[in-house]
Amino acid sequence: MTATQDRSAQTGQAQTGETRTLTLIQAVTEAMREELARDDRVVVFGEDVGARGGVFLATAGLQAEFGPRRVFDTPLSEASVVGAAVGMAVRGLRPIAEIQFADYMGPGFDQIISQAAKIRYRSGGQFTAPMIIRTPSGGGVKGGHHHSQSPESYFTHTPGLKVVMPSTPYDAKGLLKAAIRGEDPVIYFEPKRLYRAAKGEVPSHDYIVKIGEGAIRREGTDLTLVGYGGVMPDAERAAAALAAEGVSVEVIDLRSLVPWDRELVLSSVQKTGRAVLVSEAPRISNFMGEVAYVIQEQAFDSLLAPVGQVAGFDTPYPYVQDKVYLPGPNRITAACVKALNY
Amino acid sequence: MTTASQPTPSTELTSLSSSPIEPFSPEPLRWVAEDGRPVRELPVRYTPELLRELHHEMVRAREFDRKLVTLLRQGRTTFYAQSSGMEATQVGLARSIRVGHDWVWPYYRDHTLGLAMGVPMIDLISQCLGTNSDLCKGRQMPHHFGSASKNFVSISSSIASQVPPAAGNAMAQKYLGTDEITLCTFGDGATSEGDWHAGLNMAGAAKAPALFVCENNQWAISTNLAAQTASPNIHIKAKAYGMPGFYVDGNDIVAVMEVCGHAAEWVRAGNGPALVECLTYRVGSHSNADADAEKNYRTRDEVNSWLARDPIARIEGLLAHLGHPVDAEERANLISSVHRAVDADVLKAEATGQPDWRIMFEDVYADTPPHLREQAAFVRAEQEGQK
Ligand SMILES: Cc1ncc(C[n+]2csc(CCOP(=O)(O)OP(=O)(O)O)c2C)c(N)n1
Repeated sequence: MTATQDRSAQTGQAQTGETRTLTLIQAVTEAMREELARDDRVVVFGEDVGARGGVFLATAGLQAEFGPRRVFDTPLSEASVVGAAVGMAVRGLRPIAEIQFADYMGPGFDQIISQAAKIRYRSGGQFTAPMIIRTPSGGGVKGGHHHSQSPESYFTHTPGLKVVMPSTPYDAKGLLKAAIRGEDPVIYFEPKRLYRAAKGEVPSHDYIVKIGEGAIRREGTDLTLVGYGGVMPDAERAAAALAAEGVSVEVIDLRSLVPWDRELVLSSVQKTGRAVLVSEAPRISNFMGEVAYVIQEQAFDSLLAPVGQVAGFDTPYPYVQDKVYLPGPNRITAACVKALNY
Repeated sequence: MTTASQPTPSTELTSLSSSPIEPFSPEPLRWVAEDGRPVRELPVRYTPELLRELHHEMVRAREFDRKLVTLLRQGRTTFYAQSSGMEATQVGLARSIRVGHDWVWPYYRDHTLGLAMGVPMIDLISQCLGTNSDLCKGRQMPHHFGSASKNFVSISSSIASQVPPAAGNAMAQKYLGTDEITLCTFGDGATSEGDWHAGLNMAGAAKAPALFVCENNQWAISTNLAAQTASPNIHIKAKAYGMPGFYVDGNDIVAVMEVCGHAAEWVRAGNGPALVECLTYRVGSHSNADADAEKNYRTRDEVNSWLARDPIARIEGLLAHLGHPVDAEERANLISSVHRAVDADVLKAEATGQPDWRIMFEDVYADTPPHLREQAAFVRAEQEGQK
């Protein structure tokens, strides 16, 4: 692929050849199915991923197709799931482990940060753990605080882990394939409220989306709106509303948090002079704090307004008031207007 | 060599041998057969009056389940995990402890335990509906209640995360010199989590007054016991932590009360923790998110075989055997009175309305720090702007 083709692929639009419309979760399943078929080192496991096909049905049909040796249920223990993935990866498999909800990464946390993230470094590169932890995250599904959290910042804070979160079916498939074929542990967050809500064209041919590259969802000249995962449709809605008022907003989907596409964000901010960063995770130590820091460090001279941030509140995720908690299009639009009127 | 402060576990474990209730029995202990006939002499306290009361509580729990499933279908709540089939275990457990004196760290399928402990039905319903009458202020997903007046600690979704705190609660009870105990419940799946092992190990090492009870309904969502653990059962794991493990027929309420009651008093007497495994069955789906269990992972035959061991039918059989049968009219009246009570509480709860956005910012800390005050002010301005 040439650089131009690569960039245009980032818009999430398929380039040539056959495409089909898939939901985000179908794209996730398809990526696993194709990689299971392509590489017999790939194994898929976790709680209820076998006969049940996962609680969200992301692994539906895979056990029937590839058998219980390749796709299997584990005991109810995230430490076992993650820790075993590390061991399998060290021994040469390509494990794809599912954590049923991102909220339950807690019991597996030590294995993620002490083993998966560090084995390459601490062994001087002698041992590595190329593995994927897939997990549904984020709110908007009336799940209360144990089924709605966005814990990505715990993991972006840990060197040695790659962290990605798609918002389109195209990216979901391409990023998962890139993760499976890569050499590092990847935490792959799936915005659960987009599982069936996000539909899009996905090519029939094999492709990957490189980890570390963001995508421009909408070009604009007045303000750069940066987000990832579940907030993207709302960010695009906000940009459309502002377009109706004559404001041209450039919308960037980070797709990858570690590493993230500094160049794409910085060149956009240098063009527009304004940035608003959107995520639904609580605000303190939110990953977007890092993005804001880099913008002020590298693009200070271009800034016409302080970098705006829209985030979740610093409260546990509430059940009844989950709509108020989530940064919807109105809150995003208001933050943009504030930056524009600065 | 063992020191005086470290008695050998074997002495502890055999100190119960004079009792008819043996730890580590190969088969689940039972008092009443499936058809209601006693298989052992019934202790005198099981008068027809007590048995009727227990029957009433079990029917109430089952009908509560039915009504909550209806509320789900009507979209008035969004999540519910039935305990139909597990009534004898949970009602029996409530009778095995000193309610309001002992402490309970339950898991999310324990609403029948809560009801049987006397948590008012409206408190359960309010939590499920997330209304202003919800003691937990609409913050948790439905079916995750808690009741300070009963020392029933608010339920958490995260499997087995209640087990180490329960150990700590029991350690505090010992430290404070109380005669309370801590009841900690969980499913069979929970016994695979590291937290479960950490909690039992800690309680065992501290000889804390904790009663751990596995409500073994044989499935953790779609994972059955054989896929969960290579142990033949759960109670045997108690050996590793230096405590007795009891095996009970969890569909026989007499057996549950006898064994759990005995284990509770043994724990209360300062002997250290105990583990009880109540073998039972979840007849319905795991939750409403898993409506097609039979299609996906278990057979109709298996479910039917457990329907034939129904705990409510068993106590009705026992009452009939004792000459006090529950007749059809009595059962029908009981059922409709539960339905009426649920309907009335639902209306009462709904009339209190839903908590507004302010609840989001309360109780995060004891005092609200400046950044949360700012965030609350932001939402207030936003809400006022929308008016
Ligand atoms: C730490 C954690 N991992 C996964 C889940 C998702 N989950 C909810 S219930 C459940 C099965 C629990 O089974 P068990 O402990 O046997 O209790 P049961 O539901 O059968 O009563 C799972 C895996 C969770 N709530 N917490």
